Amino acid sequence: MAPLTAQSDEKTHQALLDKLDIYAVHKPFRNPNWRPPQRRNKNLKQVLGEASRKEASMMNTQANSGASTPAIASEGGSTPAGNVRPPNIAQAAQSLDRLVLERNGRAAAGNATGPAPTYTNIESAPSFHPSAQKKYCDITGLPAPYTDPKTRLRYHNKEMFGTIRTMPQNVYEGYLAARGAHTVLK
Amino acid sequence: MAPSAIDDAPAASGRNSPKRPPARIWNVSEPPFEGYRPIDTEGYARSNGETAIIIDNGSSAVRAGWSFDSKPRLSVLPNMARYRDRKLNRTFTFIGSDVYSDGTARGQSKSIYEPGSNIINNWDAMEGVLDYCFIKMGIDGRSGSIDRPIVMTEPVANLGYTRKTMSEILFECYGAPSVAYGVDSLFSYSYNGGRSGLVVDSSYTSTHLIPVVDTKPLLSQATRLNWGRFQSAQYLLKLLRLKYPSFPGKISDTQAEDLVREHCYVSQNYEEELSRYLDWTGLEDRDHIIQTPFTEQVVIQKTEEELAIAAEKRKESGRRLQAQAAKMRLEKLKKKEEEFEYYVQLQAQLQEIPTKKEKARVLESNDFDDEGQLDKRVKELEKSIKKTRNKDLGDDAEEEQQEEPTFPLLEVPDDQLDEEGIKQKRQQRLMKSNYDARLRARVEKEAEKARQAEEQRLDDERREADPEGWIGERRIARQAIVQKMKDRERLKAELSNRKSLANQMRMKSIANLASDAPSKKRRRGGGDDDTFGADDADWGVYRTIATGEGSDDEEEEDLSKTLKDIESQLLEHDPNFTEESTREAQTDWTKSVLHAFFHGPYPYDPESQREAHQLHLNVERIRVPEVVFQPSIAGLDQAGIVEIASTILTERLANNPRRDDVLNDIFLTGGNTLFQGFEERLRNELRAVLPAEQSIKVRRAKDCVLDSWRGAAQWAGKKENRRNFITKAEWAEKGGEYIKEHDLGNALG
Repeated sequence: MAPLTAQSDEKTHQALLDKLDIYAVHKPFRNPNWRPPQRRNKNLKQVLGEASRKEASMMNTQANSGASTPAIASEGGSTPAGNVRPPNIAQAAQSLDRLVLERNGRAAAGNATGPAPTYTNIESAPSFHPSAQKKYCDITGLPAPYTDPKTRLRYHNKEMFGTIRTMPQNVYEGYLAARGAHTVLK
Repeated sequence: MAPSAIDDAPAASGRNSPKRPPARIWNVSEPPFEGYRPIDTEGYARSNGETAIIIDNGSSAVRAGWSFDSKPRLSVLPNMARYRDRKLNRTFTFIGSDVYSDGTARGQSKSIYEPGSNIINNWDAMEGVLDYCFIKMGIDGRSGSIDRPIVMTEPVANLGYTRKTMSEILFECYGAPSVAYGVDSLFSYSYNGGRSGLVVDSSYTSTHLIPVVDTKPLLSQATRLNWGRFQSAQYLLKLLRLKYPSFPGKISDTQAEDLVREHCYVSQNYEEELSRYLDWTGLEDRDHIIQTPFTEQVVIQKTEEELAIAAEKRKESGRRLQAQAAKMRLEKLKKKEEEFEYYVQLQAQLQEIPTKKEKARVLESNDFDDEGQLDKRVKELEKSIKKTRNKDLGDDAEEEQQEEPTFPLLEVPDDQLDEEGIKQKRQQRLMKSNYDARLRARVEKEAEKARQAEEQRLDDERREADPEGWIGERRIARQAIVQKMKDRERLKAELSNRKSLANQMRMKSIANLASDAPSKKRRRGGGDDDTFGADDADWGVYRTIATGEGSDDEEEEDLSKTLKDIESQLLEHDPNFTEESTREAQTDWTKSVLHAFFHGPYPYDPESQREAHQLHLNVERIRVPEVVFQPSIAGLDQAGIVEIASTILTERLANNPRRDDVLNDIFLTGGNTLFQGFEERLRNELRAVLPAEQSIKVRRAKDCVLDSWRGAAQWAGKKENRRNFITKAEWAEKGGEYIKEHDLGNALG
């Protein structure tokens, strides 16, 4: 535990840490019986995945209710329970259609202005504006009229081109990555 | 460099005049440790069961206070470090800026948010931060709970899981009687008196645009751009890492954020400003130097006196050595002279001895075979004495004027000589060939000189006869040399990469040279006769495998010398070849855009530790904030805020009767809008996409950072908003994700 400031020595630093520490501070406002649920820390991807799965399963239960439930094929009463058919692709595609339709329909019914806002659907769409096609030098950020076909880097003038051509692969990949144009091997 | 030195230096033609040393150098910020924060019980004492605790749960800082406060009492960085110290056998928990008080704590620090997003994913840290807030707000928890309602902000379209977990903590762990959630930017908008408008909230991890009509947010039209100050700082770090790949210092995330805050600004006309950004004029103002801590290598400067003493010492010891050597020489000379005298005497003695036998005896006792040897010895001694004496006198030029040596024995046939004669003849032959070789070399040297003069003459003649052709030829030659130098540079660069083709070829050559077995090629050639070395060029392989210091310095020297020669010739005779076209001028650093980019308008000395630890911010100053307007710069595949705003204003709200009201109140909030020029830029760009007769107004929140909290406090203080709180019973009954919809909050999904 190295002190960060020059003017503190080992002892005063420890005293400072003792003062700052809140683990030892009594916290009477907390429920002593509170036990956090297991695995409550989820990353964004997990949370989003769960949310969309939940939504989809809700749709399915609604779609499968009542008349749309397919009747069990009874051919000679031969083991209907164990006879699981392979999933039908057309049927699966149809249910996907329905899913989208129903989702939109439900949103339209609840809110006249469009689908309900969710964390994912309020994200800004890709740009259609011509300014998105503007090119800037990958090294300096200056306007770039040229692109090097070998490295795919954009450059401002021949001086940068000279530099680009002497770059090892990891360096120009780094520049591409800063622009999000690098190749990702999976 | 002293300023006077710069002023005195004449501006060489073809170069930019040097600049004065930088007027201001910035430093990177210290870790944001604020010191111990005392517990503030005053607010709790004033509060009652109706007073809400307001928590603006932002990703840049968590701000907490009482609903009657005019500004938050606490602003806590959203991170926690909890670790067990094994030596002391106790657990430490540090919150917010306190983690920067200690190295270990800083290493263990975890943010409560998923990095780069506004979604909480570390709930233990979240609890720690809430604990900290409640402790510092002096809540005594007599009833075993916080016993105060809570108003908390959440992101637009918050995820159900996040809200569920948060409610669970607030109700179960802290025993809050009721909780309300709202969106920070809407709180800020309402605090600034907005009714209908477009809220542009660019904050720490994201940028949101929310149209509000008649105080009702149109959340279904809200749009999020995944870019904020955090991403800006990360982008700047990425750019700096690429710009200075071998930078010895380290820039932390908080330092990068401060750099963005302090040095970046939004350009009003990005394209135009960008294209002139690295121009020489005014570059010293645009280029900001950031100095990171460094330790200068100590060079012990000796005083003049010390230097003089050292020189004197050296001279003294040199003199002593010289004296010693002279003494030794003298002694040797004396000895030789004595010897010489002795042998001369011996010679005289021999003359007097009549019998041959006696003569032979005397000679033998003096280790001589015959009289000839004695004579030779005497001659040798005489010569050596003479030479030594001459040397002492300081003129040894005598050798030059030696008469041509004669080799008389060579003409005599062998059979006329005795054994001794043959031996001498052989020796003379050797000496003669030596002498001849020397002569030949001299002649050759003269011939070479003549040839060069002739060449020069021919060259001059040709130049006079056909100046254009001559110039063309010279230019081609110059180009070839320049190309060669460039190739060499490239090869050097490639060799530094272990995986490059050049390096692989080198490895191959090494392996070939080292292997005993002949390579495939040779085997196919037939036989195992190794002809390596038959051609002188074969040895070049050793040059190609040599790398590092001094591997090709000699050649480098040669090339630049030849280039200089050619350039001086061209300068003299080619009217189109000026001082500016020389390679030296062209590669001069003041002309280099890259140099301006890396080191500003100042010379760079790679040896200097101070300069190696400097960062130059120039293009980055406008490039980083520009991403909000053009996300594609940073590889973000989303529309920029102007495009989003214009889509919302001109398409989605096209038929809305209150559209003009919205256009007349475009409201900026959030820390990332604090860049100088943000407001003007947004206004100008929106102006450009909207009809000319359409009036627009852009305004900024009075306090872009704290107004969310103030708005929440104001909202909580109003009696009619009581009904928008969820009680614990409601939460238990209606589920974890349940909220009551109100004008400043999210919709229930």
